[in-house]
Amino acid sequence: MRKQQLFRLLALLLTFALVAAACGGSDDESAKETDDSAEVDSGSTDSEPEEEEEAEAEEEAAPEKDEVVAAGTEAEGDVDTEVEATDEDTTRLSGGEIAVGLEAELVGLRPWEDTCGSPCMNVLPTLYDKLMESTVDGTYEGWLYTSIESNDDFTLWVAQLREGVSFHDGSALTAQTIVDMFPVQQVGATSQGQIAASNLGNVEATGDFEVTYTMTQPNSAFPAYLSRAPLGMVFEPAAAAADIDAFNENPVGTGPFMFVSRDLDNETIVERNPDYWMSDSDGTQLPYLDQISFRPIPDEGTRLDAVLSGTTDVAHTLRQGTIRDGRNARDDGADIFLFEFQGNNVGGGMFNMLVPPFDDVRVRRGLTLMNSQENVIEALGGTGISLPGTQWFSPDSVWYSEKAAAAWPQFDFDAGVATLQEYIDDPARSDGKAPGERIATELSCPPDPTLIAAMQVLEQTWSASGLVDVELTNYDQQTHIGYALGGDNGFVGSHTTHCWRVANDEDPSTWLTPALSAPTAEIAEAAGLPGPSPINWSNYWNPEVFENLVAATRTDVFEERYVLYEKVMVQLAEDLPVWFSGHTATALIVNDQLTGLASWELPNGTLGAGHANAEGRWGQAWLDN
Amino acid sequence: MAKLLAARFVRLLATLFAVTLVSFFMVVLLPGDPAVAILGQDGVQNPELLQQVQDELGLNDPLPVRYGRWLGSAVQGDLGDSYTNRGQSVADTIRDRVPVTAQLAAMAILIAVILAVPMGVIGAYKQGRWPDKATSASAQVALSVPNFITGIFFIWLFAVKLNLLPASNWNRMSNGLGANLKTAIMPATALALTQMAIFSRLVRSDMIATLQENYILAARAKGMSDRFILFRHALRPSSLSLMTIVGINFGALLGGTVVIETLFAIPGLGFRLINAISQRDIQVIQGITVFIAVVYVVINTIVDLLYIAIDPRIRRK
Repeated sequence: MRKQQLFRLLALLLTFALVAAACGGSDDESAKETDDSAEVDSGSTDSEPEEEEEAEAEEEAAPEKDEVVAAGTEAEGDVDTEVEATDEDTTRLSGGEIAVGLEAELVGLRPWEDTCGSPCMNVLPTLYDKLMESTVDGTYEGWLYTSIESNDDFTLWVAQLREGVSFHDGSALTAQTIVDMFPVQQVGATSQGQIAASNLGNVEATGDFEVTYTMTQPNSAFPAYLSRAPLGMVFEPAAAAADIDAFNENPVGTGPFMFVSRDLDNETIVERNPDYWMSDSDGTQLPYLDQISFRPIPDEGTRLDAVLSGTTDVAHTLRQGTIRDGRNARDDGADIFLFEFQGNNVGGGMFNMLVPPFDDVRVRRGLTLMNSQENVIEALGGTGISLPGTQWFSPDSVWYSEKAAAAWPQFDFDAGVATLQEYIDDPARSDGKAPGERIATELSCPPDPTLIAAMQVLEQTWSASGLVDVELTNYDQQTHIGYALGGDNGFVGSHTTHCWRVANDEDPSTWLTPALSAPTAEIAEAAGLPGPSPINWSNYWNPEVFENLVAATRTDVFEERYVLYEKVMVQLAEDLPVWFSGHTATALIVNDQLTGLASWELPNGTLGAGHANAEGRWGQAWLDN
Repeated sequence: MAKLLAARFVRLLATLFAVTLVSFFMVVLLPGDPAVAILGQDGVQNPELLQQVQDELGLNDPLPVRYGRWLGSAVQGDLGDSYTNRGQSVADTIRDRVPVTAQLAAMAILIAVILAVPMGVIGAYKQGRWPDKATSASAQVALSVPNFITGIFFIWLFAVKLNLLPASNWNRMSNGLGANLKTAIMPATALALTQMAIFSRLVRSDMIATLQENYILAARAKGMSDRFILFRHALRPSSLSLMTIVGINFGALLGGTVVIETLFAIPGLGFRLINAISQRDIQVIQGITVFIAVVYVVINTIVDLLYIAIDPRIRRK
């Protein structure tokens, strides 16, 4: 009998060992499959005949696409940003509950107070309506505002507020509500900075449903600030002013969903707002879904596995590796669909232009020429997913410039060596070293495995020139930011070269202007500007570039603005304050019953901006089954 | 006994003081500014605002002043408020998360003991023979494989392939015991396997020593069954060191579930601690660290006292 028990135990252990061995084998296979599929993916957009079958099969698995509108220039071999109008015959079912796995937990639920990144931008728009919204062509149109008009010099903006909208607590939304929000925003941790950046001076009600904004300086792009947190989301101001902390526990907006509960680090639940003001084109009241549970799942693999296992319905990701794994799972037959997006946000790194030798453009150009973007993107797991960056706009953006792309120094190792050698042999070189001595740099990045791999590629390439001593360092995110910010040395920062991401998909003026404004108090004073911009991370200063940026906020004619931003990009390709790897691909990986994320519309029927930066507009998503 | 308790209490206070002092300076000396984490890119555009938030949080005060201020409040039971999740007290943060982490740790220990004791006993009883070799090899494997690897394997097998258990997140007890156990069993087992390996090796070595004792030979001479001898006469004296290590490891698990909680997205102390570190939420880091230290020291003290209570020889010494 005892022997039998021992045999059972042994059998159990053997089973475990066999299963473990089987699992080990599949890891190798999956690595091989990953490489293979990356090649297939990068080739699939070339429409090779032998791949047509596969493409057709993918189309069958995907939700029906009627009219595909490309946002900006199409590109090959990358994540395509597609926004689609819903077929008029499509039946959009109401009801159902979904769970959304997010990359991180939200700091808070107060749009004016709490920092709000991509995970947060999935949640807050369910609770709070925006005043304006971004459309598929990069413009801004009304959401709670039915219209907004400026005077000729963009110092006064008059907006008409939608009537008949009420908050979740039943109180009515009027122009006075927007006015009452302003004092709360003026002291808000995140909104204060945006009030200053947007040149907003005052808000007043000039009618029951008319709001007038007075600017301190002209700003033709002001509506962009009203399209997201911290200034554009409408909250109940009396409750917010009464107890800011209590508001976080019971947020009140006018959005399509109402707050139910929040279990920090585990789950935030919102439920359908039965009195929501908006209906779809068929007259069906929105939202379609009854309930959404947002769950922070920081591990990328677990978040994807949660969708594959049906634990959640959506995995939100900003990682190329997860997109690759999601594609592989889909190709292996998983019932999922990827809403992919190629954003303006672009990886790479920064040179600290106030620290020698990076104050000399020959050094920056030499190192940029020695940056093999293809190899770096491969190390990041982005081959076949991300496009090499040439500017702060992706090829899918309406602001993308072919001229700037042509001006960007492509990988040319020998040219890079020659350029750097010129600096090294210069008796007047800025780092004070003797001619012929190698330059030194600390190449720093957060300790993410793929980032480390990418930095190692750079380190090896730069070191191979025999002209650069590279010290690789890894600091956690906060330390990394702190070094770049340089709060204790006048915002110069103590970094030399380090990895960074730049740009986003908002109006360029909202992020490009502060990123290239006077970096220090001395420079600001000399230029007659109000103060330093701490988020000019590379400490780049070119008065001509700044003038173009300011000029772009003095006109609302797209063509004029495009030319100004193109000039900026071309100049950056000349001055090289940053180097690029690839544009950030993002995705919402969903179970294939969930759709509507690429086809949401503004109240006036204009097609919205889709699922940029893996931000879902859940108010118009529905379950097919 | 009273003298012993008093000595233990003094040692407890000294340990806690040292823990708070060391952890405070370790955390505040890290580069990275909590004010930057709070303001984000939108807020940090305004240098005056950055300064204002730093002043509000007292971040520009000398370190001894900051430590004294924190300690003064802490001894009165006030661990302060979270920097980032403002309005939430650190005490509430800990109170909400302790049941989750404690349940995980308790389940892990329970599973480990249930598996380890038979393995240890069999290994000792069949010392040097194949059952011993098989259990020792299993323990070696369990000890060698990091628990997050086991966790990833469990998610793949039980959630993705077999669709038996949820891949992530946590159902609280208020949602029903069954729902709760469904989310707890995978992470607890992943944590348990390493513990099982440690426990089984300990039980085995203790049992081998015990089985050499004269009273075991006497029991065998009396014709008692092997099972009775093993589990009634040999296991009890061999379980003293097991009890000690169970206590110590339970305390260690309270602070050692960080990776598993992050992998499975479980809202326990570890998950909050890792978020607090990334956000430089010094108050929360400090509060959780001190809490874990208190529990660890208290559990050790209780184990020591139980040891005395169980073994009369130690009591007499």
